[in-house]
Amino acid sequence: MRDVSLPRSLEELWGLLDRESAAALYAGGTDLLVKLRAGLEDPPALICLERVGELKGVQDELDEVWIGAATTLSTLMEDPIIQRRFQVLRKGLEVLGSPPVRHMGTIGGNIVTASPAGDTLPALYVLGAQLEIRSKDGSRVVAIRDFIVGPGQVLLNRGEILAGIRLRKVQSYAIHHYEKVGRRKSQACAIASMAALLTVSDSGVVEAARLAWGSVGPTVVICREAEAAIEGKPLSMESLKLAIPLVEKAVSPIDDIRADAAYRRTVAGLLLLRLSEYSAGTCSAQ
Amino acid sequence: MKNKDKPPELQPFFDKNIAGDVVPSIGISMPRIDAYAKVTGRERYAADYYGFDMIWAGVKRAGIPHARLKSVNTQAAENLPGVIAVLTHKNISGSNRQGVIRKDQPVLVDDKVRHCGDAVALVLAEDKETLAKAIKLTSADFEPLPGVFTTETALEENAPLVHEDHPGGNVLLKASLEIGSVQSAKEHCDVLVEACFETPLVEHAYLETEAGWAQLKEDGKLEIVASTQTPFRDRMEVADALGLEPERIRMIAPYAGGAFGGKDGVTVQSLLGLAALHANGRPVKMWWSREESFIAGTKRHAARMYYRLGAKADGSLHSLDTRLYFDTGPYDHLGGVVITLALEHSGGPYRIPNVSFKGWAVYTNNPIGGAFRGFGVAQVTAAMEQMMDMLAEKLAMDPLKLRLKNAVRKGDKNCVGVTLTHSTGLVECLEAVARHPLWTERAAWKSKAGPFKRRGAGIVALMHASGYGPVVPDVANAKVELTAEGKIKVYCGVVDMGQGNAATNLQIAGSILCQNVDRIELILPDTDRTLPSGSASASRCTYTFGNALIGACETLKLRILQRAADLLMVDDCDETALIPGAVRHLPTGREIPLHRLATFMNESERTATQRFRAPTAKEIPPVGNEIRLHGFPHTLFSYGAHLVRVEVNELTGVVDVKRYLSVSDCGKIINPHVYEQQIQGAIAQGIGYALSEEVQVNEGKVLTADLATFIIPAASDVPEIESQPVEIYEPSGPYGLKGVGEIATNGPLPAIANAVADACGVRIFRSPLTPSRVLRALRERLSEGGVH
Ligand SMILES: Cc1cc2nc3c(=O)[nH]c(=O)nc-3n(C[C@H](O)[C@H](O)[C@H](O)COP(=O)(O)OP(=O)(O)OC[C@H]3O[C@@H](n4cnc5c(N)ncnc54)[C@H](O)[C@@H]3O)c2cc1C
Repeated sequence: MRDVSLPRSLEELWGLLDRESAAALYAGGTDLLVKLRAGLEDPPALICLERVGELKGVQDELDEVWIGAATTLSTLMEDPIIQRRFQVLRKGLEVLGSPPVRHMGTIGGNIVTASPAGDTLPALYVLGAQLEIRSKDGSRVVAIRDFIVGPGQVLLNRGEILAGIRLRKVQSYAIHHYEKVGRRKSQACAIASMAALLTVSDSGVVEAARLAWGSVGPTVVICREAEAAIEGKPLSMESLKLAIPLVEKAVSPIDDIRADAAYRRTVAGLLLLRLSEYSAGTCSAQ
Repeated sequence: MKNKDKPPELQPFFDKNIAGDVVPSIGISMPRIDAYAKVTGRERYAADYYGFDMIWAGVKRAGIPHARLKSVNTQAAENLPGVIAVLTHKNISGSNRQGVIRKDQPVLVDDKVRHCGDAVALVLAEDKETLAKAIKLTSADFEPLPGVFTTETALEENAPLVHEDHPGGNVLLKASLEIGSVQSAKEHCDVLVEACFETPLVEHAYLETEAGWAQLKEDGKLEIVASTQTPFRDRMEVADALGLEPERIRMIAPYAGGAFGGKDGVTVQSLLGLAALHANGRPVKMWWSREESFIAGTKRHAARMYYRLGAKADGSLHSLDTRLYFDTGPYDHLGGVVITLALEHSGGPYRIPNVSFKGWAVYTNNPIGGAFRGFGVAQVTAAMEQMMDMLAEKLAMDPLKLRLKNAVRKGDKNCVGVTLTHSTGLVECLEAVARHPLWTERAAWKSKAGPFKRRGAGIVALMHASGYGPVVPDVANAKVELTAEGKIKVYCGVVDMGQGNAATNLQIAGSILCQNVDRIELILPDTDRTLPSGSASASRCTYTFGNALIGACETLKLRILQRAADLLMVDDCDETALIPGAVRHLPTGREIPLHRLATFMNESERTATQRFRAPTAKEIPPVGNEIRLHGFPHTLFSYGAHLVRVEVNELTGVVDVKRYLSVSDCGKIINPHVYEQQIQGAIAQGIGYALSEEVQVNEGKVLTADLATFIIPAASDVPEIESQPVEIYEPSGPYGLKGVGEIATNGPLPAIANAVADACGVRIFRSPLTPSRVLRALRERLSEGGVH
């Protein structure tokens, strides 16, 4: 038996964390409960963030959009701002788990779990997400790529929580792309994935590219070389193909029960070719 | 509620629980009587029991694949407060052996551990938490032995033996059959195709994992309630293993939450019986976790199958040579029967004059191979139906025409030498596929594949035997009763594990006795109340039990009408008719309610029973008696033809199943709704077998012991399935019916493999067709062709 506390405000939460600093936090519990059942973690108490209003919702601020860490994945998926501005994230949410998992799971949980296969992460990397970390004593902001340091490893100190995610609003990319390869269409951990943001000129030249891969390294993989290789060139099979070896070099996949490393490496490269589908006048974010 | 919120056809059964005021008819779709309780969570499965004063039992598993057991250390667990007992083989006074044909599986290990899931000790505790702790505290000393983990190594000369006392060494059973000669195939055939296929070990993955509860009653009777397909056989097995008289044991089988063959035989039953003997009369429950079910439960056999098929230039099959190696794990379970059925089906539903079939069920230290929907036929169909496509390609012949040319028809001998005297509708199935737009318009559809996509269509022809074969009596005993209250009780001897046969029994009884559903009660299998009727398996449930039930109902009906005629003082019971709740004298309109009538009849008069034994093949093909004992050959087959359309993703190797068509000859249909569910469920399961399901094992250890790594299809992985019956009347079946439970699950793997080959020009001989395997094959081909 363990105590489960359900604070309704940050004030209450800080009090609880003071008293039981070894308590495990959770929001939807879709990752934590799996670990508890498997006996991988055995915290003395649980604190649930689900009811802390300050950690929920999407706010349209001046230059930024703020997403509360305890916002559920399904709420985000339906959110008009996310739909209008951050299709790449929406596409990641659409293929995450299944409706029941998205109703329970939160974006904060997906980030702090820091699985290389987390389906919101490649999108958050290409969008350059900044994370707002809070504690009783204050707050700090850190880029997601500095926050996640390994599989399941994040730079969060005792007493700190992830409070929200900040996304810059002015992002000129017209093409938002996310593709996940799984062993089935839903409820499947990604065996490889890729998020991409592209700006393509009227004449079909890639002006800017942001790319990130999931499940092919200990954390989300970004590859500046591949981005550079396609920037300034027409969005075509030929130029995309040239970037494949750079991707294959950048990733460091492992063999596991779901797929072999060689497959993951090959697919990480090949997924680039899908971007050519956006070239022939199909440059919509859909 | 607005109309659009409710599918109109389901309305009556959601409103009224079941369509209670309907008198069932044969051939119409009726909501299943079990549906409402199941979808609302009210049904009590064996796993749902939480009785007063109940305790928990659980198993210490070996966790090592092959070892001699030195000792079991129970002391630490026994000292834990809340632990009631820790039992070992020393507490068993019977044979401590279970099994259907060869009794080779211990309840609790006494001499040797033969796979990681073997039970070493049985722990009884007050609650689940204590149980888990006590199991951890229980340990055993082993002397590890070298193991055998593939059929190849198991068959090597000096391979370690799984059972030292087995005369056949690691070969549990070798089955073979020769008809004509395959020696000269090279000379006589214009084309020969050859291949080796590998299919994986597969988990049933039922919703309700192995579960049950048991109690030793004051009168000394041992009651065991279990999720099982085989209550009557279980009783004998448990009695023998524990050293009890069978009459002392009562087995009760509620609706099972899925079984698919995994509960064809003892799972928790003997352990529960043993636990109850040490529980001071308290009820004791056991419920395997998902992981335990993966590790200790039976699986579909992994198989390696060598095929060589020869034909004449016109496409007529001439010879087939097969060698089948099935990994049966450490225990017989039903491995010998499975390899025998595989052998019988290894040439598919075709006329082939010269065959040589050999099959080996091989002992290893892997998880237990056992019964699984398809029962060996899923594996050989995967091989044979791919061979047919390979042959068609070599002959440059349409694959459907090739099948039609060789398809068995009524009166033919099939390729194991049995004359087909029952309905044989394969040609009708194939012709229906040939006419279907999914087939005729496939070229246009294929040409419209989008970028990085390739499309293909695949077909297969299927057959599946029903029943136990010639030796083991394939018998059912039905019983129906007019109760003292004037209602009807149907005593179902065959378990309903989800396939809907209980509802069909109600439909049969209601239609013969003209009683609405409200007036009929089903008594589910219970060795004290219902009559022995064999297992819920082998596509036999409704065929065998239904035939018995029709007889019992007709007898009861006549008896009711005759009694009513006497009471109404009319000469001829032809003038009377059963109507809901009463008998009416038709010329005068006088009625006598059934509850009145029942008061004039004593119990034996109000009860009717009927036995039915399924027909057997009268031919004696050239096989040994041993093989006949294992069920060879059959006389009654269902047939089918499937068509699938797939799209292969060139960048990822992912295979997307777009459309599926199944045409089946399973005789006449009693309830189209239940029939459709069987076909759809079997195909969904078959799609998993084709694309994703694979129990990965390393040195006997299961690596995929949960549903996050053993990938079964979810809703969006199953496409629109069209299911057409060709309803050919089978005279020996109840209302012309044949078995439908298994046949459709054999189709998807070869159909999808054929479709992938059609789409990509590559054939993948090892299933499942994972993205990794498909992409590798695609890229090898592309690099050979120098494209890309
Ligand atoms: C069946 C199933 C399918 C799934 N499929 C997918 C999938 O396809 N793709 C995918 O990416 N994931 C998948 N998941 C994983 C999971 O659903 C997601 O990672 C989800 O976003 C986790 O959110 P949560 O709120 O439930 O996390 P929780 O379990 O509540 O928390 C996860 C971890 O994050 C910590 N945490 C949570 N919120 C905070 C916070 N605000 N501050 C600090 N720490 C915090 C917790 O302490 C815990 O360590 C699946 C899970 C299940 C059970």
